Amino acid sequence: MKWSQFFNTSIGKKLLVGATGLFLCSFVIVHLAGNFQLLYNDEGKAFNAYAAFMGHNSLIQFIAWGLKIVILLHAFIALQLTFSNRAARPVKYAVNPGNQTSSWFSRQMAIMGSILLIFIVIHLANFWGKFHYTEMPTRTYEGSIEPLKDLYALSYETFKNAWLVALYVIGMIGLSFHLIHGFKSACQTFGLNHKKYNGLLSFIGVWVFGIAIPVGFAIIPVVIYFK
Amino acid sequence: MEHYNMNLTLKVWRQKNKNDQGRFETLQAKNISSEMSFLEMFDVVNEELINDGKEPVAFDHDCREGICGMCSMHINGRAHGPWDGTTTCQLHMRAFKDGDTITVEPWRAGAFPVVKDLTVDRSAFDRIIEAGGYISVNTGNAQDANCLPVDKTNADLAFAAAACIGCGACVAACKNSSAMLFVSAKVSQLALLPQGHPEKQSRALNMVAQMDKEGFGSCTNTGACEAECPKEISLTNIARLNREFIGAGFSSEK
Repeated sequence: MKWSQFFNTSIGKKLLVGATGLFLCSFVIVHLAGNFQLLYNDEGKAFNAYAAFMGHNSLIQFIAWGLKIVILLHAFIALQLTFSNRAARPVKYAVNPGNQTSSWFSRQMAIMGSILLIFIVIHLANFWGKFHYTEMPTRTYEGSIEPLKDLYALSYETFKNAWLVALYVIGMIGLSFHLIHGFKSACQTFGLNHKKYNGLLSFIGVWVFGIAIPVGFAIIPVVIYFK
Repeated sequence: MEHYNMNLTLKVWRQKNKNDQGRFETLQAKNISSEMSFLEMFDVVNEELINDGKEPVAFDHDCREGICGMCSMHINGRAHGPWDGTTTCQLHMRAFKDGDTITVEPWRAGAFPVVKDLTVDRSAFDRIIEAGGYISVNTGNAQDANCLPVDKTNADLAFAAAACIGCGACVAACKNSSAMLFVSAKVSQLALLPQGHPEKQSRALNMVAQMDKEGFGSCTNTGACEAECPKEISLTNIARLNREFIGAGFSSEK
């Protein structure tokens, strides 16, 4: 089977969705660790220096563009699979089993993923777009060589808007529900289903990616709003 | 368990042939014993329909002891009805009570077109098996069984996978109409045994290709198939199929 055929089979496409999904899982860890610097009481010195590094280092920029392609690839293939899966049942059942045979989270991947995609577009417009493509106020800190773009102040300004805070919390609920099923599902697609590891994988999927990380992300705008 | 009789209202899918649109028909099942099987209940209903000069409800059945995989009803939203690990023929009427309304639908999947009423065409499964669900053996005497050492654990796993009766409940239960549990059981039962090794790569690749060609959906790991399977085939088989397919896809020379 040629590569083009292999990645066109249902399992081949799922492997691409799973691989891109796991890559995005690793990204959210790094992103969250960086974001926590917004909560330091240093008037943004650490966060703005970090943002300047992330925005200018060429390796990071290469990965950042790769990341956007990965997000689009993940969404595109997953939606393609979703539509062909719906088409596989032309006449629907009058009575459905609901939660009796499968978890609610596992059936909402496309919806939660779509919420996330919309969130990501808004999030990029709020910060990434402004950081890279607009003249932003800068700030010079003691000991720093040049003035830094004040992304810290932009974050504080953005999250004074209660609607945006609510939108970010909803986005993170989407992330939570998506990853509660997504992480372990990707492992299963790669053939990882083993008595000795299933407990650990469920724990990481539900508690780390499904709860801890989305809550960590959601806390930041909420704390800034009430600060 | 105490015996009781009941009267039921059935909402049954009626469809003349695969080109007919189909619709639900309401039928009354009177004086049904709690000790009847679900199919026996349908026999009673059909007797009455025939006596009234009406067309009986067509449904698949054969052994009626839970091993042939012919019966295929979607009962109140559940493949083979509300009991776990049970085929429709082994579902007994004590699962219901007097006055219940029961909705009975055929398996719903594009790859399983309705033939008539509750009967669907599952020959797509046969074509998947033909694509690789076998081992090629030369004619002649069977060799001594002890020539091929088989690990007991793998023998048990292969046997558990071989319990699949090909009824299609996994497809019916899956929100994507995916046949992955079926294909994974058929790949696993051979992949786990030495006899299955020589053709393992082509088997995984060809059976998955045929599965896609038949128009089944892809697996999103919801686990509904495992929950509904009358033979309790495990999701670990799907993981094994994925491993077999990945291994074959990456290393097969063809």
